[in-house]
Amino acid sequence: MSPNAAVGKWLAANGPEADVVLSTRVRLARNVAEVPFTHRATETDHERTIEVARWALADSGYLDSGKFLSNEELAEPQGQYLIERHLASPDFVASKAKRGLYVSNDETTSLMVNEEDHLRFQVMASGLDFPEAFTAAAALDEKLERQLQYAFSGEFGFLTACPTNLGTGMRASVLAHLPALVITREIEKVLRGAMHIGLAVRGLYGEGSETKGNFFQISNQKTVGQTEWEIIETIADISRQVITYERKAREYLMKKLRVEVEDKVFRSLGLLKGARVLSSDEAINLIAGLRLGVALGIINEVNLEQVTRLMILVRPANLQAMLGEKLSAAERDERRATFVRETLVHQ
Amino acid sequence: MKVSQLDKDGKVTEISICAECARARGFTEVEKLKANVAEIITELKNRIDEGDSRLICRTCGLSYAEFKKQGRLGCADCYVSFHDQLVPLIRRIHDAVQHVGRTASGGRKQAQQKMNVAKLREALSGAIQDEDYEKAAALRDQLRRTEEE
Repeated sequence: MSPNAAVGKWLAANGPEADVVLSTRVRLARNVAEVPFTHRATETDHERTIEVARWALADSGYLDSGKFLSNEELAEPQGQYLIERHLASPDFVASKAKRGLYVSNDETTSLMVNEEDHLRFQVMASGLDFPEAFTAAAALDEKLERQLQYAFSGEFGFLTACPTNLGTGMRASVLAHLPALVITREIEKVLRGAMHIGLAVRGLYGEGSETKGNFFQISNQKTVGQTEWEIIETIADISRQVITYERKAREYLMKKLRVEVEDKVFRSLGLLKGARVLSSDEAINLIAGLRLGVALGIINEVNLEQVTRLMILVRPANLQAMLGEKLSAAERDERRATFVRETLVHQ
Repeated sequence: MKVSQLDKDGKVTEISICAECARARGFTEVEKLKANVAEIITELKNRIDEGDSRLICRTCGLSYAEFKKQGRLGCADCYVSFHDQLVPLIRRIHDAVQHVGRTASGGRKQAQQKMNVAKLREALSGAIQDEDYEKAAALRDQLRRTEEE
């Protein structure tokens, strides 16, 4: 694989329950006291917030192991590249406000300055690992707070531009791959259960995104009235149940429909190895099929990490960044097929 | 024509009467009454909207009507300015109003000060490099004052 093809540490697929859970993410929203929220702030306010955030990151040592991108450096195609890597939100990239973005070298930690809230930072971990993600997010929170004063009220907690994020300001989520539950049509029931206890279920790229490749994101909706650990425990509990159901469904499929499952998996592998033109969506779906095969032990020639890396690298902006060229859609589909083929044939 | 008469106790009695007499005795046509109710509701809604646009955050100037339209508050003080309006909304979203998670330690506002010191140091070394000793002396004094803060 090309040397530029590094992906975030959270994609290493070596975390707990990695056969079902891709990653765990904890995001905190914070605002700086006495500065209007981003959409009401002046350009001078925006610049000052960026400067204060950059300073706080530098002073607490975070800049030694990461980089801070200025507003200019966030223009396309960099913006799309960051969205594909889950390091920035689409709203942030599209925003007209002056922004700044911190990304740690291993891409587990990122901090958006002047998104809907002044500071939105996240930590991602491989597999189902809230202790890792939350501890790191809380550590960054404490370091930042030593350098700046947060907007906070004893009654409402951390004050956010939208009351939906109030209180803990925390959105905790788990990204799970649930193909067997989809095939056995048990998914509706499982997801309804999660929604029933107030959790949200979304697609791969958050709000409004489709559930491409049978990847589902489970996250909390309520942020007031529960401690961070209570929120996390609820999501972790549901995730563990979902993992158990998915594994049982996989077992069932292997017992009752082994040939059909093998057919699906090997067709995915065959297409990925043979295709000369591959769209991004088709690639994701085929790679998802391949992932199931690897998780079930049907395919041994690639491992979970390689499959997970592929998922990110075949996206349009990442593909172009890796190849170092700006390509048309048709050119991309061709080069994507070549890249995937070479990766799978020569790994 | 037949009309229904509703007395004070809520009892309905049907009486036969001619149209002219009915008008003279103050009976209201149901259709007209419905139109009146709609009017009253619109009027009430207008008054609430008017109240919302008159309710303004003292710090940032955002009106509650604007918040209702765009879903985002203007500043931290909006939570004080619109407190009574926000409490039921927050309860609807979160099933709770009181925060119980991590708390802010109050912050120490060191960032601004440290940043100022760093900037002054940079300016000072620039002035020395340019051999602008007058400027350098002024910057040095300013740096001392800032560091003592």
